[in-house]
Amino acid sequence: MPASLRSRLLVLAGRPYAVTVLALVGLAATIGSMVALDGAATLGAVAFSPWVGLIGFDAGAWAGMFTAAGSIGLWLLAGSHEGMHTTGAQVTVRIGYLALLGAGTAVAGRRLRASERALGSVAALQSALIDSTLDGISLTDRDGNILISNAPLRRLSLELGLPPVGTVPERLLAIAPRISDQDRYRRRMIELAQSSSESTSDEFELAGTGRVFRGFTAPVVDPSGGFAGRIWTLREVTADRELDRMRDAFVATVSHELRTPLTSISGFLEMMQDEEERLGETGRTYLDVIRRSTERLHHLVEDLLLIAQIEAQRVELDNATLDLAELAQRSVETARPAAAEKGVELEIVSDHPPEVRGDRHRLTQVLDNLVSNAVKFTGGGGRVTVSIGRNGDSASLVVADTGIGIPADEQGKIFSRFFRASTATAQAIPGTGLGLAISRALVEQHGGTITLESSAGEGTRVTVTLPAQPPESA
Amino acid sequence: MTPRVLIVEPHEDIRTLLELSMRRLGFEPVAPGDCGPGDADAVVLEPSWAHGRTILRRLGDDVPPVVCLSIYPREAGYAPPESVAYLIKPASLGQLGDALRDACGR
Repeated sequence: MPASLRSRLLVLAGRPYAVTVLALVGLAATIGSMVALDGAATLGAVAFSPWVGLIGFDAGAWAGMFTAAGSIGLWLLAGSHEGMHTTGAQVTVRIGYLALLGAGTAVAGRRLRASERALGSVAALQSALIDSTLDGISLTDRDGNILISNAPLRRLSLELGLPPVGTVPERLLAIAPRISDQDRYRRRMIELAQSSSESTSDEFELAGTGRVFRGFTAPVVDPSGGFAGRIWTLREVTADRELDRMRDAFVATVSHELRTPLTSISGFLEMMQDEEERLGETGRTYLDVIRRSTERLHHLVEDLLLIAQIEAQRVELDNATLDLAELAQRSVETARPAAAEKGVELEIVSDHPPEVRGDRHRLTQVLDNLVSNAVKFTGGGGRVTVSIGRNGDSASLVVADTGIGIPADEQGKIFSRFFRASTATAQAIPGTGLGLAISRALVEQHGGTITLESSAGEGTRVTVTLPAQPPESA
Repeated sequence: MTPRVLIVEPHEDIRTLLELSMRRLGFEPVAPGDCGPGDADAVVLEPSWAHGRTILRRLGDDVPPVVCLSIYPREAGYAPPESVAYLIKPASLGQLGDALRDACGR
């Protein structure tokens, strides 16, 4: 069928009562056939049932029943022309049968239309819902062709200059030349186009505009668990990144500026220490307080600067082959005086850990953070155990304590910068909430992982794994 | 002869501290106003201070070895070509003394 004819028919079919008109034509043709072929008796009143059914379905119960009665009248008229004899009961049964058909199909039609309206209403609500979000959202089929997309996505697509045709990975790939880090972007798009299982979130910047976008994609599975397609979301995060940049710049500036008064305090403190004997016992006590506070302030400034460097990805590792057991031993010895002062038992267990490749200074920072944290959050009579060993192809380090622990609902945030567990703040245990954030960033920069298990009131266990130095390069 | 160290530092408290430290370490502190070309054996400089770099340029072509004592890390790029040591504030008296002795060749 030619496409133009097909489209015209589809338009006609969509008009109100198109089915009724079609059924009336069918009814007339049936009567015409009966008269022309003397076939009223042969065809019977049942020949009208499709038309009665269609009219009832399309125009309602009364129309269906009226058509049933009219059809029987026409049938009798056609039958009398050919000498057909019927009894009153036969006519009544036929009228009843066709009237029931008309009414029944009317009920079915009404139900179908009600269901269609309800579905349409739900679809409209769903459409309004996904159009009202900040995120551009689209659903693609297995080949990456768009099945559904919302208004924000269509707007963002225009702003990004995405081509109007093609699969989503193809469209995204087409704008690679306009992305700041286009090689990485191109590589990611190609990987995504080839992967059916990867779920990923990436940020990219439109070169020369300062506009940053965050995209997310994940596979969508059908009820049987098979790959059905992908969901893609896109959001502009320019304002968020600008806030991040301002915050980092502020933290860095403040931290650098803090070095100036810190230099005066530390310097004059150092000079006073040379004359400590002349200060007397009270003076020396005051000096100790100033010294401890200065050290704390110094560590805070260093941590703030390091976190700012980490955020800006400016921390470079000076890698060498390292003996993790030796580093752990040093950290334990550093923490031993504080542990002894609190009455915390501090032990180290080493079980042939492999050598690792890493930055001695940075890994020492991690170990010092973890061991000093464990001591800090463990009360007198408690125990801190540092275990180092091998875990497959990795070196493992576990710092376990019997301290105050971290509530379960806070553990997900414990590696976020500035986050402090309520168990620590409730007891006014000093800290900045930077140690674990720094530790995680440094461990991950070494290609390792850091995890935490904890139970409030029972203790905490932090596990670090670092890739072992391959034997051939050891 | 006691080596002379030019102190180029914007903050008065730290200038005072450095002057006291210099004497304690066996150096003679010199203020920028009292220092012309050839008057200093070494310089302690806060390199991020723009005016400090101007003071350094006034010493002419023959700038003595510079020990940077800065609130910013070396990567910030403030260190002048003449710098022979780079210390981050707050540096200890010992670190400063070692750097200055190296700079003065003692």
